[in-house]
Amino acid sequence: MTDTAPGLPQLGTTLFSLTLEQRAPGNDLAALLRKVATRELGPGVEMVAFQSLRGWPRLDDAAVRKVRGLIADSGLTPSCLAINLDLALQPGRLLSDDEAYEYVAVQLRGAASLGFPAVRVGVECGPEIMTRLLPLAEQLGVKIGVEIHAPLTIDAPPVAALKELFTRLDTEWLGFIPDFSASMRAVPAAVDDAHRKAGIAPELTALTRQLWAQPGPTMAKFPQLEQRAAELGAGQAEIGNLKMIFTMHGRMEPERWADFFPHVIHVHGKFYGVFDGPDGPSDPSIDYPAIVRVLREQGYTGFISSEYEAHAYTGLYSAFDQVRAQHDMLKRLLEAEPAVAR
Amino acid sequence: MGPLDDQVVREDSLTATADGLNVAVYTHWYRALPLTSLTKVDLTVDGQPVDPATLSVTVNGHRYEFAELAVKADEYWFTTDPVVLHVPVATAPGRQHRIQLQLGLSIPYILTGPDRTPLLTPSSTDKTLTAA
Repeated sequence: MTDTAPGLPQLGTTLFSLTLEQRAPGNDLAALLRKVATRELGPGVEMVAFQSLRGWPRLDDAAVRKVRGLIADSGLTPSCLAINLDLALQPGRLLSDDEAYEYVAVQLRGAASLGFPAVRVGVECGPEIMTRLLPLAEQLGVKIGVEIHAPLTIDAPPVAALKELFTRLDTEWLGFIPDFSASMRAVPAAVDDAHRKAGIAPELTALTRQLWAQPGPTMAKFPQLEQRAAELGAGQAEIGNLKMIFTMHGRMEPERWADFFPHVIHVHGKFYGVFDGPDGPSDPSIDYPAIVRVLREQGYTGFISSEYEAHAYTGLYSAFDQVRAQHDMLKRLLEAEPAVAR
Repeated sequence: MGPLDDQVVREDSLTATADGLNVAVYTHWYRALPLTSLTKVDLTVDGQPVDPATLSVTVNGHRYEFAELAVKADEYWFTTDPVVLHVPVATAPGRQHRIQLQLGLSIPYILTGPDRTPLLTPSSTDKTLTAA
């Protein structure tokens, strides 16, 4: 396991990193957990319930016993279970608040039965539903964290509303799961390869990169991109793919992560590749030292789940090797950062 | 867009049956989705478009008419399982077919725009394969 010194954040892996590996023959849940443990990519383990658990959200007792047994046998520590509020489950309408509550509550109970101490939901799980879920979270002993993923920022209205709620309720059971993707310093190089393979003209990718790099809120850039890409002849499908650059890669200053505290219950270490450079391994698209500094300053001792996502663009790299490289870099940075007097 | 798109229709996806051609389709999304998410199946076999109204599908061991999927919100298409499209075209083992498939999955937790409509994520396949 990539153990970090006491008083520091703990490391771990989400099986989401292994999205491509999951499709290879023989890589069932048992095999993936075993491989994560064998390669010492714990101690924490997270998974997306709908990705990894056949039968979710209605696991029978035998399935629960089996999954619990697999996690126990691996020696990994369950850190967080990513669940979903599928608001558009029914064609042509969104779930009512009652339906949304039930959809999440079933999964919260499932997470508790599997031994997870926390669940991840998306920002579509708003203040009303979160408030209704609080008594159940307390009763089950499972924290609920809203993931703050690109293009969301601490200032986005739905996030600000949650911050106000968490401050007012002053509870340990509800909080944020900030994701490294909210604070990126460059668009990953793998995007160019994926666009080329998809037949997207290089000048369209370059235009999107240029808009991305400009100052200003990301949300305001969507209409600019639509207009300028259309002028260059892009169709709707291409524009949809170009927009993903804004959706997947956020530009919030890493220092703003301090504003998520003291309501951070878990952290997603989203990344798109650690590469060897002249100064050792580094990640061109994420400023790890800046984020690590905030986590240390805030005294965060929860998990950072390594979440490799370049598999959305390329199958060239082993996710196992990439998570190993990220763990080594994070451990070095975490342990190098001077301790903060609190 | 991305490596999973290449696996939507695989080398061994085609099977000849007495009723026609079975096409095993795998999801290009990373997680299981409700069957209501399978909203667009634009399939062309050997240049002939296939009317979705003539398609039936087998998923989780159940066979449904394609239109029935729109009410199957309580059943999920698991990450590593195929959905098998039953296509009413003449075939035989060993016969080659050109399969063009525009698959559109409605992502129920990613809502876009002021109307909060679910993201429709496409994949595109164009492969010539041999039926088993």
